[in-house]
Amino acid sequence: MNSIGEECTELKRQYDACFNNWFSEKFLKGQTDDSMCAPIFKVYQECVKKAMKAQNIEFKEIDGDYLKDEFKDTPPGKGS
Amino acid sequence: MKIWTSEHTFNHSWETVAQAAWRKYPNPMNPAVIGTDVVERKVVDGVLHTHRLVSSKWYFPKWAQAILGTAKVCYASEKSTVDPKERQMTLKTINLTFCRHISVDEVLYYTPHPTDPSKTLLKQEATVTVEGVPLSRYMEDLLTSKISVNAGKGRQGLEWVIAKLNTEISSQVKGIAESAARSTDGLLSHTKKSLDDMTESARKSMDDLSATASKHIHI
Repeated sequence: MNSIGEECTELKRQYDACFNNWFSEKFLKGQTDDSMCAPIFKVYQECVKKAMKAQNIEFKEIDGDYLKDEFKDTPPGKGS
Repeated sequence: MKIWTSEHTFNHSWETVAQAAWRKYPNPMNPAVIGTDVVERKVVDGVLHTHRLVSSKWYFPKWAQAILGTAKVCYASEKSTVDPKERQMTLKTINLTFCRHISVDEVLYYTPHPTDPSKTLLKQEATVTVEGVPLSRYMEDLLTSKISVNAGKGRQGLEWVIAKLNTEISSQVKGIAESAARSTDGLLSHTKKSLDDMTESARKSMDDLSATASKHIHI
C-alpha cells in the first residue's frame, strides 16, 4: 500500500509495521501507552502533511459538516 | 438521499477482525484502493482514535464524468475508534473529492456477534446524497448499487487478509521453531566443544602427571 506522497511510502511502511505490532501485542492486550511508535509516526506524519499540502488535499472544507456527527472529539484539519 | 444497510458475520474473533481491518488494503478484491495514510492517531481513555486519508481510483461512465469531473483518484476521510474493552471498532468514511453535489458516507461497525462472541458481526450503512444535478435520483440508485457490489468485495477482501495473516502467523511459528532448532544445534556444538576442551586438558594433565612420574622414577 502506498502513501499519497511517494517520498512517504517507505516511512509509511515502517510506521504501519510498528503500528500493527503495537496494536496486536499491546493495545488489544490492554496496554494503551502508544509511545512505542511515536518517533516514526512523527516523521511519517510530517511527510504526509507536506504531501497533502503539495497536492491541495484538505480536510478543512468538509470538516464543517463532518463535525455535526459523533467525531467532535477529533480536532479537524489541525496544522494543515 | 438513499440509505443502504447490510450485515455480515465473520467466523473469526473480534480481535482477529480488528487486526485485519487495519491491514485490509491492499487486497485483490478492492484494487480501487491505492493508498492509505494516517493523518492523526491518538489514544483517549483507552480508545484508539484514527483519522486516515484513503485514496482510491474510480472509473465513471463518460456521461457521469461530465457532471462529476474527470478526477480519477478520489480521496476519502476515514475516522475510526477502537475500544478494546467493549470490543467495538467503528469506521466512518466520507468522500472528499466527488465535488459538492455528491456525498457518500459509509459507516462500519465491528462487534462480537451477540449470540456467539467467538464470531464477529459487521454492520454496514451507507448514505448516498446527490443534489442539484440532473438525474439525481437515478444517480443515487446507480451509486447505491455500486456500493452494494463494493461492500461484498470489501468483506471478501477482509477474509483474504485474515487468511494471509494466519499464514504469516504460521510462518512466524515456523521461524521460531527453526531458531529453536538452531539454538539446540548451538547448544550441542558448544557442549561438544566443552567436552573436547575437557578431554584435551585432562589428557594434558595426564601427560604432565606421567612425565612428572617418570621423572621421579628416573630419580
